[in-house]
Amino acid sequence: MEGRAARLSFAAPARALRASWDDLVTLFANVGFGVTLLAVWALLTTIGVIVDQGKDPSYYAGAYGPPLSRLILRLDLQNIYHSPAYIGILGLILCSMAAATFVKVIPRRIPRLHPVRIEAIPLHATLRVAGDPERVRERIAAFFAARGWQVRSRTFAGEEWTFADKVNWARRGVLIAHIGFVIIAIGTTIYWAKGYSGQFTVLSGQTATIPQNGATVSLERFAYRIDPITTKAGVVYQPIDYVSNAIVTGRDGVAHHAVIRVNHPYDLDGTLIYQATYGFGIDFALTKDGRPVPGPDHPLLEGEGFPIDGTSRAIQYTRFVGTIDRTTGQPGPDPRPNDPGVVIQAFDGDQSVGSALVPLGQPIDLGAGYRLEATRYVLYSGFQYRYDPGIPVVGLGALILVLGLCIAIYLLPARLFVQVRPAADGAEVGIAATTVKGYEVFEDRFREIVADLRRSEAAT
Amino acid sequence: MDPIRVQIDTTLLVIGIAAYVTGAIVMLGFFLLRRPILRALGLPLAIVGCAAQFAELGTRWWMTGVWPLTNLYGSLSLFSAFAVLIFLVFAYKYDLAIVGGFLLPCAAIALGYATIWNEGTMPAVPALQSYWIKIHVPIVVASYATFLFGFCVSALYLLKDYAEKHFRRRSTAVRGLAAAAGGPAIDVNLKTGDYASGVGVKREDTPAIAQAAAAGDPWAVWLAGLPSLARLDVMQYRIIGIGLPLLSIGIITGAMWAKEAWGAYWQWDPKETAALASWIVYAIYLHLHTRPEWKGTRTAWISVLGFASIMFCYLGVNIWISGLHSYKV
Repeated sequence: MEGRAARLSFAAPARALRASWDDLVTLFANVGFGVTLLAVWALLTTIGVIVDQGKDPSYYAGAYGPPLSRLILRLDLQNIYHSPAYIGILGLILCSMAAATFVKVIPRRIPRLHPVRIEAIPLHATLRVAGDPERVRERIAAFFAARGWQVRSRTFAGEEWTFADKVNWARRGVLIAHIGFVIIAIGTTIYWAKGYSGQFTVLSGQTATIPQNGATVSLERFAYRIDPITTKAGVVYQPIDYVSNAIVTGRDGVAHHAVIRVNHPYDLDGTLIYQATYGFGIDFALTKDGRPVPGPDHPLLEGEGFPIDGTSRAIQYTRFVGTIDRTTGQPGPDPRPNDPGVVIQAFDGDQSVGSALVPLGQPIDLGAGYRLEATRYVLYSGFQYRYDPGIPVVGLGALILVLGLCIAIYLLPARLFVQVRPAADGAEVGIAATTVKGYEVFEDRFREIVADLRRSEAAT
Repeated sequence: MDPIRVQIDTTLLVIGIAAYVTGAIVMLGFFLLRRPILRALGLPLAIVGCAAQFAELGTRWWMTGVWPLTNLYGSLSLFSAFAVLIFLVFAYKYDLAIVGGFLLPCAAIALGYATIWNEGTMPAVPALQSYWIKIHVPIVVASYATFLFGFCVSALYLLKDYAEKHFRRRSTAVRGLAAAAGGPAIDVNLKTGDYASGVGVKREDTPAIAQAAAAGDPWAVWLAGLPSLARLDVMQYRIIGIGLPLLSIGIITGAMWAKEAWGAYWQWDPKETAALASWIVYAIYLHLHTRPEWKGTRTAWISVLGFASIMFCYLGVNIWISGLHSYKV
């Protein structure tokens, strides 16, 4: 008795749980719900296109004004693609696709053979033909089979039906596309779980190490080519080539010579190294009252700075200027180092106290006896690296997605329902057609089929 | 540069623009007046313009050795050429020449706008020096062009659909007035036409227009001559059915190129994400097109929205938003 009571007490919550689960699955399988999720995804993606991503909070105040920037920062719109809302929507879409696939796509796309009311289907026709119904049925089956239709016969309630299907397998196109999506998601997850990426810069003659795999990259030389091109708007300086000549050492400890260009990454033990950026490192010399004092001990890259010992001041190397226009003293349009200089910015504590364009080799007075000179530039190369074991899986998923899309869009699975009944002077053939894309797309074809069948029967 | 080749390039561009502008006027005339002679004149003009454009892009390549799709001029030029090519295929295969009244003016505007960005010939920047530019760009531009044609068909659908609603309201109002005056109600039991062969029943999908046309309303007579709503809907589906796989392949090839050039197949660059947003809109279209209650007016509006998102992705992002695909100076 007690056992039965316990079972009963568990049965009710289990039923309620089952009902809730069914409701949830029904909701997720609903096309309207799925489409709503897609619409939200599109909206969030578009917001990410319009609102600059990944900038400092101060940038948004300047670019959008205080009220809008507060809204952007509060809603995390400046980092939308990595926000919980965005990732959550993607998760919900995957759940919705899974539910729709199992609840709707599979059962509905691969329907069982069943009898229909011929006249109730918009694409239908009735033919009167001569002959015994059994023979007529055989002739019609042969007629469709000869035209590439898959013909099957079934008996329902003592009545024989003939079914003819065209490209029935293509009903799985949507399923294949959905599987492609899931495989892409798996490939992306593999990168998150096992892959890594990063970036580093190397000055000519120096070596950098990739921390994740211990590989080293020594930059022998970086070269660039920028050509002046005359256009209707005037001369523009068009970058033509960036190339890093490097010595790379991988797991095996053997040094290899590598030429790394844009669009031509170097594969080092499965980690791809890409040419990403380049720039000019600057050697600075600092003096006080004509005597050298400690300054930066290595060439500075753009954005780097150094403090002036014994003061509250610091100097930042802001950017490199290839050619100074001597007539104006301002940066010229030619980015190549013909008459180079650097823009430096001075800070007192956190406050900027001014900036200046300093020609290379010409000292600038910083006050209190300090003088600073940019003595020479050294080219550096910026690399990105990435190890992504999920790439083949993502590629496979993309291929399957496109394949599924093409099957779903370009092939038109159609089913003909044929019923042959005895009539006074022979047999009456009722024929109806359904397709996965409605009736309009099949109207002309159906008309041709019926006309062909009529001609074929008339000939017999 | 060889002045003869430059002259050929300029001449072909002028022929292209002239053929499109003339063709646009003629096809607009055909759209409004339905004179077969205008169709017979307009389609060859479209062929001439399209051929001149492809020849001009080819000449530019031959002239400089630089693939001509590295700037907005080349891209927009190919866009209009592809749009006209797709239109010609549908015009001949599915008898959709009527859409030329919308499409050819769009192609002419696109080509005219392209010339603003014609800076002459320039070598490609390092990121564009890849074989992928010969695969990715034509596929993506072809998808944009397909969606332009889809947009024109959707616009035609909406025009006829809203006109049908207008005539239906008018018909109901007249019946209401007659009933209020105590007269007999006008019979609006609209006729359904059978196929000539006696197969099935074809639904008349704009009965109010048909009735008004039968009553001699000139606007309704003009509308009745447009393809049926069902046919326009099927055509719109077929066109988007070409555009969406092209856009999908375009995004995938772009991702493959991005991986080769920048180290990541997806960088959340504005162009990539805008293309993704457009892809989602057209995916919504395909999903809703399977629902009878959404098929028709609503999916036509989604097609219009999709094309707006494509234009934002194509021109808005390239011109106004900084990113890896920016054309901003």
